[in-house]
Amino acid sequence: MKISERLGKELLFFDGGMGTLLQEAGLLPGELPEVWNITHPEKVTEIHRAYYEAGSDIVLTNTFGANACKFHDKECELRQVIEAAVTNARKAQELAGRDRDNSYVALDMGPTGKLLAPMGDLSFEDAYEAFKEAAVIGEDCGVDFIHIETMSDAYEVKAAVLAVKENTALPVFVTLIFDEKGKLLTGGDVPAAVALLEGLRVDAIGINCGLGPEQMLPILEEFRHYSSLPVIVKPNAGLPKQRNGETYYDVEPGKFAEVMGDIVKKGACLIGGCCGTTPEHIRCMTEVCRGLPVLPVEEKEFTMVSSYGQAVILGDKPLIIGERINPTGKKRFKEALKNRDIDYILKEGITQQDKGAHILDVNVGLPDIDETAMMKEVVMQLQSVTSLPLQIDTVDARAMEAAMRIYNGKPMLNSVSGKQESMEQVFPLIQKYGGTVVGLTLDEEGIPKTAEARADIAGKIIAEAAKYGIAKKDIVIDVLTMTISSEKDGARVTLDALREVRRRYGVCTVLGVSNISFGLPARPIINSNFYTMAMQNGLSAGIINPSSDDMMKSYYAYCALMNYDDNCENYIARYANQGVDAEKSPVKDGILPLQTAIIKGLKEEAHSSALDMVKEREPLDIIQEELIPALNIVGEGFEKGTIFLPQLLMSADAAKIAFSVMKDVLAKLGQEEKKKEKIILATVKGDIHDIGKNIVKVLLENYGFDVVDLGKDVAPERIVECAVKEGIRLVGLSALMTTTVISMEETIRQLRESKPDCKVMVGGAVLNQEYADMIGADFYGRDAMQSVHYAQSLFQE
Amino acid sequence: MTDIRTKEAIRYLGYGRHAVDETTLAMISSSFKELEECVERRSVYRIFDCIQGEGNIIKIGKMNIASDSLAKNLKGCQKAAVFGATLGVQADLLIKKYSVTNMARAVVLQSCAAVILEEYCDDCQGKIGEAAEKEKLWMRPRFSPGYGDFDICHQKEILRMLDTAKTIGLTMTDSYMLTPAKSVTAVIGLSAVDEKCHRHGCEVCQKEDCIYRRN
Repeated sequence: MKISERLGKELLFFDGGMGTLLQEAGLLPGELPEVWNITHPEKVTEIHRAYYEAGSDIVLTNTFGANACKFHDKECELRQVIEAAVTNARKAQELAGRDRDNSYVALDMGPTGKLLAPMGDLSFEDAYEAFKEAAVIGEDCGVDFIHIETMSDAYEVKAAVLAVKENTALPVFVTLIFDEKGKLLTGGDVPAAVALLEGLRVDAIGINCGLGPEQMLPILEEFRHYSSLPVIVKPNAGLPKQRNGETYYDVEPGKFAEVMGDIVKKGACLIGGCCGTTPEHIRCMTEVCRGLPVLPVEEKEFTMVSSYGQAVILGDKPLIIGERINPTGKKRFKEALKNRDIDYILKEGITQQDKGAHILDVNVGLPDIDETAMMKEVVMQLQSVTSLPLQIDTVDARAMEAAMRIYNGKPMLNSVSGKQESMEQVFPLIQKYGGTVVGLTLDEEGIPKTAEARADIAGKIIAEAAKYGIAKKDIVIDVLTMTISSEKDGARVTLDALREVRRRYGVCTVLGVSNISFGLPARPIINSNFYTMAMQNGLSAGIINPSSDDMMKSYYAYCALMNYDDNCENYIARYANQGVDAEKSPVKDGILPLQTAIIKGLKEEAHSSALDMVKEREPLDIIQEELIPALNIVGEGFEKGTIFLPQLLMSADAAKIAFSVMKDVLAKLGQEEKKKEKIILATVKGDIHDIGKNIVKVLLENYGFDVVDLGKDVAPERIVECAVKEGIRLVGLSALMTTTVISMEETIRQLRESKPDCKVMVGGAVLNQEYADMIGADFYGRDAMQSVHYAQSLFQE
Repeated sequence: MTDIRTKEAIRYLGYGRHAVDETTLAMISSSFKELEECVERRSVYRIFDCIQGEGNIIKIGKMNIASDSLAKNLKGCQKAAVFGATLGVQADLLIKKYSVTNMARAVVLQSCAAVILEEYCDDCQGKIGEAAEKEKLWMRPRFSPGYGDFDICHQKEILRMLDTAKTIGLTMTDSYMLTPAKSVTAVIGLSAVDEKCHRHGCEVCQKEDCIYRRN
């Protein structure tokens, strides 16, 4: 019988540890265990056989590190190693007299041993390719399924699962390594892992390594609470201990088996061992556990989305989806998209998180940009600065798929409608990558006028999704907000429809709220009141602006009133001091002079002072007579050693705010700012420490340069390409270590070849003047201010 | 009153003996607080035989190292602890976030994270020392790849010897940079002779004009 037919219906036994047994058989520290499949097949086979004889139904091949990122051996090729590994396992199965019909061989796939970008240097696609290669060979060799294990990074798991599912027809099981707090080494929790892996449609999930059986019990319970899949538990023989610097595990087979019995009673239906466990542990375990009934695998009804670090569950308590990452009606945002000013977009995201958003909507659609590329870039960058789940908002199916693929979690998607074409586009994507989708209650006929008809479309969407194996819990219905100034009973119908879809289907709901007041004065009044009414009628998540005080007042008041805010804690934290502040502010002493505010690095003061000043004076004069002199004072202080880096940067931030006030006024007056000189900044290939480069960027921008920030770990070719395309005259490069200065030298060489008129300035911890001369740089900047001076002198010529 | 942590953070920020303004002090204090809420301290070590070979050659377990400065540091040691520690990816993420919104804070966080990491390494080292003393072995100051002429390329072997990717989530890039960034690997000599060696860190470094130097 195929394993998938037995899954969740009966208890199945995995094998135990491999590494320690190989060491006992003579494997030396530092030697690759996978090579033993070829050099010592009899010993590997013997271990597998011992496990089958001890009662294991499943044996994992000795291929934990057999992927292109980790396995480098001069003698053996990856294919040979995997082939030999499968042969050994099959031979053991035969020797042990086990039938291929009721015992199995699974290809073991462990992590690459590298951290994925952006925190590390392994790209998602490279990780994918490494896993794909191993999985394809495994399938060629006839394994029964693929077991991905000991994973501590959700993003790497996603690459591995996609590689298996897109390139083989095999079932795939996944186990992750958690710590005692129930967290992955990269910070993710159990619900986030469940959301991601169920979205990717794996066949079984669970825990292995890191902990002993007792410590795994609470994590198992969490898995059982959130997951609708069969759960695997493969503990170590206790927590690792050290003796004479050697690691060992000391839970004896009898004790191990006893706790494994509890683990089965708590709902695991695939059990085995990891580090420190032996055939004896497995024999005791199968003796104690065989015949125990398995708890049924139950379908859970959580509507979950996730990021790398956390899952967000939509339900009775309303949540906030931040709407600000969207160019519609925002001139400044459109500019940012056209100029690829990703930082501006990231700031919008971080601000919304700080203001209390739970999920961020991401819409970067503009007619004249490559939406797919931009969506990918923005999602990639956003997920490295915020731990909030993202809602991918686009009508372009290509952009949606590209973003879903690289998204580190289970995304929310905006949206699908009741139109057949839309459902045919979106549902296959969810089937493949996972996701919770917003279903708009409109179809080929348009938006129905009645609540009942809108609920009917919701029903159609739910039914169609089911054909793709997409559960109702992954559909969130948007009954659409109509503008009351043009449609008199618009609000009423929307509220009725909210109640109706909740009543009929019990699904979660979302609404873009602010559309309601279009064309009316003082829109926040209408918006915030309608928002309260919508929550009262069953809105699970409003798509709103978390920076709007009126909306947030409605939100916090509603949660306090409806007992969704324990002891009104959030409400009190937010509003307790409001009365006091209101009394205080009028007696605040005058406004600080702009120069003083900037020199002291006070952002708010600089802002109000700048606002005050533009009433009386010309913005360009203020820049020349106030802003630049203030910056110069701080810059000189820094160079003299009386002002230090944090202060310099605080002043830079304060100045930036004052600049933006001037910019706004200039834009209103229809005046142009001085044209800015462009400078490329990049941290060179192989180098991922970019704080120095970021400091230089802040200062150069302050002094009126337009910085093209190419980021970190940037290939020479990309820098050259950009320099040529944009006609750049100055490139700034940073490198932290001697090992990466080589890339710096190479970048300079290529620049000289393709863009000889472009100057190069360099900086970074290992550099000095001598080194900079040696690699042919035009200028070495000891600190950020020196780069500013060099840039100024260069462009003054 | 400025505590040791704050003093160290100020030193990393390059203030030397200069007075620190109130705003920066407040930022240092809140940065420590924010980091404490997110860092996940993890460490691992193993003890290996340490053999002094010809000239500057040292053998720790199966790792062969040619280094004058390390040979000097490990002179007379029969054993060596190989050690790895990390604050996890959350510290990196936090610094990255503030690099977008508030560069001054990013810089202060960077320094505070370095202080927390050093402090944590000192704690771990204390425990390694206690355990070693029971075996009548005395500890030398820790020495990391990349210091002096101890080649950074040994990073790779050290991570493999400790299986750090699995045990503490510590990996490296192709150019031998540790990821997460706020991480340390080191070799700690253990000698049967109790010659208390107090010289470590800044005091042993030859770069005397360094602006970050202690005292």
